Amino acid sequence: MDFTSLYDSLSLIKPEIVISVTLLLIVIFDLIFHKNKTLIPYIALAGLIIGGIYVLSDISNSGFAFVISSTSNNFGLLALDSFGSYFKFLIIITSILIVFFAKHSLEIKNTGTRQGEFYTLLFGMILGMMFMISASDLIMIYVSMELLSFSSYVLAGFIKLRDRNSEASLKYIIFGGVASGIMLFGISLIYGLTGTTNLYQINQVLQSAHVNLIVLSFSLLLVVAGIGYKISAVPFHFWTPDVYEGAPVSITAFLSVASKAAGFAILIRLIKTAFVSNIDSVGNWQLIPVFDWQTLLAVLAILTMTLGNFAALWQDNLKRMLAYSSIAHAGYLLLGIVVFSEIGIEAVLIYFAVYMLMNLGSFYIVMLIADKTGSENIDDYGGLGYVTPFLGVSFAVFLVSLTGLPPTAGFIGKLYLFIALIDAKMTTLAVIAVLNSVVSLYYYIRVLKHMFLKKPDGNVREIKLSAANIVYIVILLIPVLLLGIYFTPLVNFAESCLAFLHF
Amino acid sequence: MNDIILINISIITLLLPLFGFGLIILFSKRFPKLYMLGIGLLIVNFVLAVILLYAKLSNFLTQDINFQFTWIDFGNVPYLGNVHIDLGLKIDNITVIMLFVVNLISMLVHIYSLEYMKGDKRFNRYYAYLGIFTFSMIGIVIANNLLMIYIFWELVGLSSYLLIGFWYEKKSAADASKKAFITNRVGDLGMFIGILIVFTTYHTFTFDSIFEQISNGVLPFDSNAWLTATGILIFMGAVGKSAQFPLHVWLPDAMEGPTPVSALIHSATMVAAGVYLSLRIFAMLTADAMLVIAVVGGFTSFLAATIAITQNDIKRVLAYSTVSQLGYMVMAVGVGAFQYAFFHLITHAFFKSNLFLGSGSVIHAMHHEQDMRQMGGLRKKMPVTYAAFIVSSLAISGIPLTSGFLSKDGLLAGSLAFAHLTGHWLLPTFGFLVALMTAFYMFRLVIMTFHGEPRNKEKYNHAHESPFVMVLPLIVLTALSLFFWYTPNPVGPEQGWFLSEWVRPAETVVPQETRFDFMKTTGEEVSGHSAGAVVFSEEYEHAMHWAHIPTLILSLLLGGLGILFAFVIYHWRKIDPDELAEKFKSLYLFSLNKWYVDEFYQATFIAGTLKLSYLLSLFDKYVVDGIVNGTAFVTRGISTVSGIFDKYVVDGLVNFTAFLSGLIGLGFRRLQSGRIQTYLVLVIFSLILLLLFFEPF
Repeated sequence: MDFTSLYDSLSLIKPEIVISVTLLLIVIFDLIFHKNKTLIPYIALAGLIIGGIYVLSDISNSGFAFVISSTSNNFGLLALDSFGSYFKFLIIITSILIVFFAKHSLEIKNTGTRQGEFYTLLFGMILGMMFMISASDLIMIYVSMELLSFSSYVLAGFIKLRDRNSEASLKYIIFGGVASGIMLFGISLIYGLTGTTNLYQINQVLQSAHVNLIVLSFSLLLVVAGIGYKISAVPFHFWTPDVYEGAPVSITAFLSVASKAAGFAILIRLIKTAFVSNIDSVGNWQLIPVFDWQTLLAVLAILTMTLGNFAALWQDNLKRMLAYSSIAHAGYLLLGIVVFSEIGIEAVLIYFAVYMLMNLGSFYIVMLIADKTGSENIDDYGGLGYVTPFLGVSFAVFLVSLTGLPPTAGFIGKLYLFIALIDAKMTTLAVIAVLNSVVSLYYYIRVLKHMFLKKPDGNVREIKLSAANIVYIVILLIPVLLLGIYFTPLVNFAESCLAFLHF
Repeated sequence: MNDIILINISIITLLLPLFGFGLIILFSKRFPKLYMLGIGLLIVNFVLAVILLYAKLSNFLTQDINFQFTWIDFGNVPYLGNVHIDLGLKIDNITVIMLFVVNLISMLVHIYSLEYMKGDKRFNRYYAYLGIFTFSMIGIVIANNLLMIYIFWELVGLSSYLLIGFWYEKKSAADASKKAFITNRVGDLGMFIGILIVFTTYHTFTFDSIFEQISNGVLPFDSNAWLTATGILIFMGAVGKSAQFPLHVWLPDAMEGPTPVSALIHSATMVAAGVYLSLRIFAMLTADAMLVIAVVGGFTSFLAATIAITQNDIKRVLAYSTVSQLGYMVMAVGVGAFQYAFFHLITHAFFKSNLFLGSGSVIHAMHHEQDMRQMGGLRKKMPVTYAAFIVSSLAISGIPLTSGFLSKDGLLAGSLAFAHLTGHWLLPTFGFLVALMTAFYMFRLVIMTFHGEPRNKEKYNHAHESPFVMVLPLIVLTALSLFFWYTPNPVGPEQGWFLSEWVRPAETVVPQETRFDFMKTTGEEVSGHSAGAVVFSEEYEHAMHWAHIPTLILSLLLGGLGILFAFVIYHWRKIDPDELAEKFKSLYLFSLNKWYVDEFYQATFIAGTLKLSYLLSLFDKYVVDGIVNGTAFVTRGISTVSGIFDKYVVDGLVNFTAFLSGLIGLGFRRLQSGRIQTYLVLVIFSLILLLLFFEPF
């Protein structure tokens, strides 16, 4: 490897480098100041903001990093393009919000001097996600996914004092281990079939040479199982409710947004780079006829939406309810991929930005209430809307947005998804998705019913909010409302980020 | 100062009152003094409006500032092509002058209300409503497109509704607010249809691009008649909001609201929005549409003036006077006296809000007595209020040295010139008769209130001049009712900076054949003027010139005569008003009962609706119910049978569905056992299922 190409590669991954350096800085500071951890979140923030600036400034740059010179073509391990930058940007924004989230969270505060570890591991996750988003090689995908997973296993059980916490962590490890094993098996089969792990080369092989389709389908299903576990698509979702319930709320929120975003990014990139032969003039993807992605993903999407929504109906624990709701949302998002066109991907990008805001907002409010009342049970929230109107009203807005009703951002997200479906003449899927939204209305509004239609009984006390809490909620609330009315900038931004690196 | 700063300032002036509204509504429980914030914000807003006025008129006198952005981009829509909805602002001279007026009067009313509304239990809420009103009104003023105007139009309607019914415990107030809302809705429906026609034709709401397309010959349904209809339909919104006949009935009732609100909304700003809208769409009005507008305006001003003569409630007199003056402005739009319509809008805003605030001062002093027959002699007790009243009354009567003279004279001359050229002599006839009546009823009001002997000794003894915060607005507005703000020459407005520099002449873009003869352009005349500017023909200039002197003399004569009559009848009592009323009893009653318009509506529309619904209920009762009962009899037999079916089969199905949903949910719950071993088995199992059923190509 010569140094100019190394330099070129490194200059393409500036955000990742910033995140890595910040991770190291956090470790060092953690070691130097073992008593006082107040500085660490700010270092984390500084790193994230610098990383975010690099992502934004390089948003239109594209290129391969870490090109293996032995191959005839210049395909690298990482493909940097605006599609990846969009997701990286979302992840960095989410991470910034999560840092504040964790700062306000009582559970994390109570861990005292171990907070340094928390941020180290968080950055491990971020780094894993960012590499995963750009990975254009099956091995790179696997390695970055493991980096993400290991950090999240530890974080899920970060609060050692609680049983369910350790239980969550253990379940997560075992489930994750099996899933990544399955995926690795699939990857090795693909390597055996095509003789390469690079997605671009796989594409070339699939277009030109003849491969055994049955083995290919088998191996791809195994890979999908691995990614499906990351995005908690049914039937690979079983870990989700248990882990979401057991993990600290800040980590649950992070898993439900960022980790899912990374999973979706890599799923889309995998399909786009390895299985699309060309894009026609109106932006439809022409798949190489080796594997019926459309049916597979459509089935997974329907299963995921339906199971997520129906199971959420029965939950009394808010975290668990939101866990199932996030499964359902993964189902909606899968629909955006099923369309296999630029409109569909644009819808996914829009939906993710919106989903990030409303989901983080809901989890944050659940965290506030749980910290103060010590309960996540819906029955203990009776009359909360009267006692703490600000919290009640903002929660209402977030839940309405999650349902997808106007004038909130959630409506816009769903609108663009459904438009993409209708445009592609997939009316059945659209109808199923709409029916699912109707079901979801029931459990979201049920929370509101408890908060507003029940008179507060004696044991519900007012929740004192600090100024920081209010600011945090308002920062999420304003875009949720604003994007419901004026969404053109977001749509334009998403539209400008549809470019994948071609060969 | 560049245009971006101007745009930003106008956006801030738009949003500050809304911000105040939000804060007051949300936090007034915790901070009972929060209304002070509302007042502070309005003062800031006023300062910004002054900056805007100065910056625009000094730096951009002949250049308009536009700002717009795409709100929603629908992309390529079948049958319509590329559709996107733009929102934006247009800052021209008219806009900044209106902004100044709205913010000034709103600020004065904010300050005035401190004392007037003191002790009201919903004090904070009152200020919140004033805030949202100001926000909406500014929105109308700065919008550059019909959609935003429509949105803010409805918002001013809402805030007007809230403020008229502010004392909703009073039934009359609650009724008045509903009446205002519903009456306005009639006009707004027309406006909405008009806007829809515009959008389907031009695919845009923005004025400039609509006008551009009209001047390129694009017409609704390719017909001049539809262009006329569109103009009239949009004007219907103005008929509602500016209380023109036949929708004028809500404004007098709206006096149930607090008096400062009447001064702000129901005399100076919101009701003038209708005129403002007509001015905004002036360029797309055809000759026929303008004639309709002129007749509506002229008739309204006449009708309202005849009613104002006999009313005894001080606020009602002013309300009818407002309707009458709005009619003037609308007529001026119709006869093409664009500049004078706007000029009168501004001068009227100042002197009429002054009169309302003055009447508020009187009402305040008289402990909420509004009947003029209970007043009298207040001149000595309330000198400042009296002075304010006198100046404003002279202004509205069109006596020289006041602002009212300048604008009124101009628009009367405009109507005279118009009649001279087109032969519609009825319009100036209305105009001059109204001038006579206006002077009469205004001085009747002044004399009955301030002159003579106090008729209610007890209330008179308690009366006193209002406190400083109430007097200050009166002084400011009185000052603004004098001529020198607008022109250096007290009898020649057209040389003044207001008309010669600030307010530019009207533009029109409608096809030549649909214009009045005197507004047609020929090729040569276009050069030297901006493309759309109306080039009035030489005849019109001549006619205007010719009309100037007669108007001056006639309006002075009539104004003086009106004042003289008022003094003869009410001050010197040479003629007994009661006797006069007895002599012309039918006329008197006709006027006192407001031409029986309300009764007419009651008898036709309201009673008609009720009658219709009664008939329908009869039909329902005998025919429908009869059929139903007959059917029911038959059905009962069947239903007994089907009941059994229902009970066992249908209920069974329904219950089964519920049971199934439950079962599904429970099934899912059962799957989620919490045991990791089970999960893994399920994953592997479902993978195997997928492998089995998933067929490769």
